[in-house]
Amino acid sequence: MEQYDVIVIGAGNGGLAAAATLAEKGKRVILFERHNIPGGCGSSFRRGRFEFEIALHQLSHMGTPENPGPLREQFARYGILDEIDWIEIKELFRVNFPDGTGVSLPADREKCVAHLCKEFPAEAEAIKEYFKVVYDFCDESTAFAAQSAKSTGEPGALKKLIMKTGFPRIYPTLAKYALKSTQEVLDEFFKDPKLQLALSAYWCFMGMPPERFPFAILAKCTYFYTETKPHYLRGTSMMMNQAIMEAIGRMGGVVRLNCGVKRIMLENGAAVGVVDENGVEYRAKKIISNISPLTTYGALLAPEEVPESAREYLKPYTVGISALTCFIGLDCTPEEIGFTTSFTLNYESLDANKDFRDAYQLLPDHDPLVATCYTVDDPSVSPPGTSIITAGTLKYSAEWEKLTPEQYYEMKYEAGRRIVARLEKMYPGFTEHIEEMEIATPLTHMRYLNHPGGAIYGYEQDRMQSVFFFPAESKIPNLEFASGWVTSCGFGPNYQYADGVASKIAAEV
Amino acid sequence: MAKTIKETLLGTLVHGEEILESIRVSRSISQDKIPVGNIADKKVAALHPERLSLVVADIVDTGKNARIIRFAGADGYLPPFEAGQYINIFTEIDGVRTSRPYSISSSPRQRAYYEITVARTAEGFVSDYMIDKVQIGDRFSANGPAGVFRYQPVFHSKKALYFAGGSGITPFMSMIREVLEAALDRDIVLLYGSRTPEAALYHDELAAYAEKYPNFKYHLVISEPAEGWQGETGFINADLIARLVPDYAERTAYICGPQVMNDFCKKELESMGVPAKRIRREMFGARKDIQNEPGWPEGLTGNEVFRLTVGDRVIDARSGESILTALERAGVRVNVCCRSGECSLCRVKLVSGNVFLARGMLRRYADEQYGYIHSCKAYPIGDVVIQL
Repeated sequence: MEQYDVIVIGAGNGGLAAAATLAEKGKRVILFERHNIPGGCGSSFRRGRFEFEIALHQLSHMGTPENPGPLREQFARYGILDEIDWIEIKELFRVNFPDGTGVSLPADREKCVAHLCKEFPAEAEAIKEYFKVVYDFCDESTAFAAQSAKSTGEPGALKKLIMKTGFPRIYPTLAKYALKSTQEVLDEFFKDPKLQLALSAYWCFMGMPPERFPFAILAKCTYFYTETKPHYLRGTSMMMNQAIMEAIGRMGGVVRLNCGVKRIMLENGAAVGVVDENGVEYRAKKIISNISPLTTYGALLAPEEVPESAREYLKPYTVGISALTCFIGLDCTPEEIGFTTSFTLNYESLDANKDFRDAYQLLPDHDPLVATCYTVDDPSVSPPGTSIITAGTLKYSAEWEKLTPEQYYEMKYEAGRRIVARLEKMYPGFTEHIEEMEIATPLTHMRYLNHPGGAIYGYEQDRMQSVFFFPAESKIPNLEFASGWVTSCGFGPNYQYADGVASKIAAEV
Repeated sequence: MAKTIKETLLGTLVHGEEILESIRVSRSISQDKIPVGNIADKKVAALHPERLSLVVADIVDTGKNARIIRFAGADGYLPPFEAGQYINIFTEIDGVRTSRPYSISSSPRQRAYYEITVARTAEGFVSDYMIDKVQIGDRFSANGPAGVFRYQPVFHSKKALYFAGGSGITPFMSMIREVLEAALDRDIVLLYGSRTPEAALYHDELAAYAEKYPNFKYHLVISEPAEGWQGETGFINADLIARLVPDYAERTAYICGPQVMNDFCKKELESMGVPAKRIRREMFGARKDIQNEPGWPEGLTGNEVFRLTVGDRVIDARSGESILTALERAGVRVNVCCRSGECSLCRVKLVSGNVFLARGMLRRYADEQYGYIHSCKAYPIGDVVIQL
């Protein structure tokens, strides 16, 4: 039987980074992936002349070569930094309103504040104050994290009392805002709904409408994307994940594609190994699951092996949102149809919370529409004179799961038709330029990601289920989790989180 | 129980106590969320089962060196598909496990069976087996239905122009049957190229459809006409298209047939100013005469035998045969579906050595950078080391 230090289940962003970090630290690690390619959400597919990005819009935490962010440093450790052409994006995003106006945010604090003050002069003071709060919040958060990292174990009752009194004084912005919703904070600062929408756009990266979206995540997205600059890369996120996979091999790790894990072996309640889909057993001191806790417990263990504590622990967590996405290759340049910003969020009204309710419906009528034109950032992403646009809305899978198989294709095309109709309204002539188009529904996401609910961001990232409450704990000894289900979703946070989990494990095995 | 430090500090935040309380409540009274088994797999299975289990329900000899085989679901169920899609059927012949993709020719509006048509080909390892050996009741596993050669209503024209060559008629049969039998608001012109009228599959059915339905026109184009043939002759070229289909510019064109015919029709359409978005092509499998493919290295005949190393195994691999076939011949299991370069399931890493990559391989940029190839369309032209 093959013996390893660590077995990693799933080659998504978290699984790849975990395996790479362990291999880098000289550990014997094997990574299993049931698909024929690595990457999970972070991969691509081909149609005709086009290669479509599946998930990545903007990579955070990269920083610039002069001022590297944590992710750049992590990739440097894997030795993949120079294998990839990184593309810095100058604008955070553009929000388009139903009246045809819109606001673009530069990826620079001063420029962004100045631009917003110009667009919304009546609220200039509030804009400045808001950005100060966002930055103070992130600074305090970093300071508190550094402080917590130093302490070990539970402090005594007296120390607890001191900390309890001291906390709000030392970290006043955290204490005031860390558990507020985005909407609550925006209402506190701003009157103009357009300004609110211009600043809250990152809600769609986490799949929670502003009323449920934790301000803490909004603040961090705003801060990190601005300070470390949004990035894209040549060759889609598949390139980045293939590079990590190659690095794992180079550093002595093993990657098995086309080979899923069928079950986790327990001895005395602790994880000791796995059985792959061919029935081969592998043993290891630790196992890292990059798949959802639900599938890890539910599908890789027998029901009687699942600890009661795990059932209890996961009760407050609800499976999050999926998506309905059109991948479109056009036979014209972005300029020809008027696409100027790579990442846009398009509203049908000025009430994002109301429009978001359509996420529970089958078809995308009022749902805010996220449209990304990768060609704007990298003209070489598709052949000269063409462009790639992915456009879609967030969607829960429930209504899609109710369809009979017979209804499915018709509804899928109807959904695609409605999204294209909305793009046609914004970019007249759009439809006539479509050369390739593929539609991914929540069921498509369920099929390829193998996530319950076709969830693209893991659990619902509201204030009860994210920030301070991610379900990161494992209830089985020697089993750990590293995925978007147990930490802030998104590429950057996931790579970093997995790096942290793997570093901790590397010190133990 | 005393509060943990985390709870203590969270309690000091605005909304802290109320959120902690909500979590406590839902932990004590909400339902168990851990499922039994893989629920994503289960929910998707009715649309995309991991494997199809098929049983041969009926066999019809066409009398044209081709056989119509109808498969029922072994458990009574077949998933829906889109007209034009294929299934990839696994076989084990003389100890070799391989597979072949076949377009479904039956209408998607009925799913009592999937119909495929197998035409005999020269040295057809699998087609001989399917035509000579397979009997009613035989069981097969398959993957699919898959493929993107189909009508995409969001941007394809409701008016279609089909180019079929030889057994390339099969996906069109599914499309035609669906459109006509379900009375869909679409219009089809079919140009069907065949060597002789006798070799044309489904000719009687197509002729009857053309008679009955005003939205379907059918032209059989014969390349080797016998004395007395009154219909169209020659190749399906620009002149013929312009003459038979004057409104070709309003139509979305679909091509399925042998690679040479497929390339030829595409070129003719392009010469007539039809843009790429209006030319949809079915992919084509590995050609048997790969040495005639443009770019094939001079001096190689297709019969050279090279060493193909995979893991600790060394396999003989003929230059004229794809790496996928060599692996299957040697009993190495490779994930596979379209066998035409498109789906990427048979992707392997080329560690060292030279391969010839046939046209039609849709590789990802990352795969090009890191040396991954689709083994179904990669041919060894020297000793080769690969990694699965």
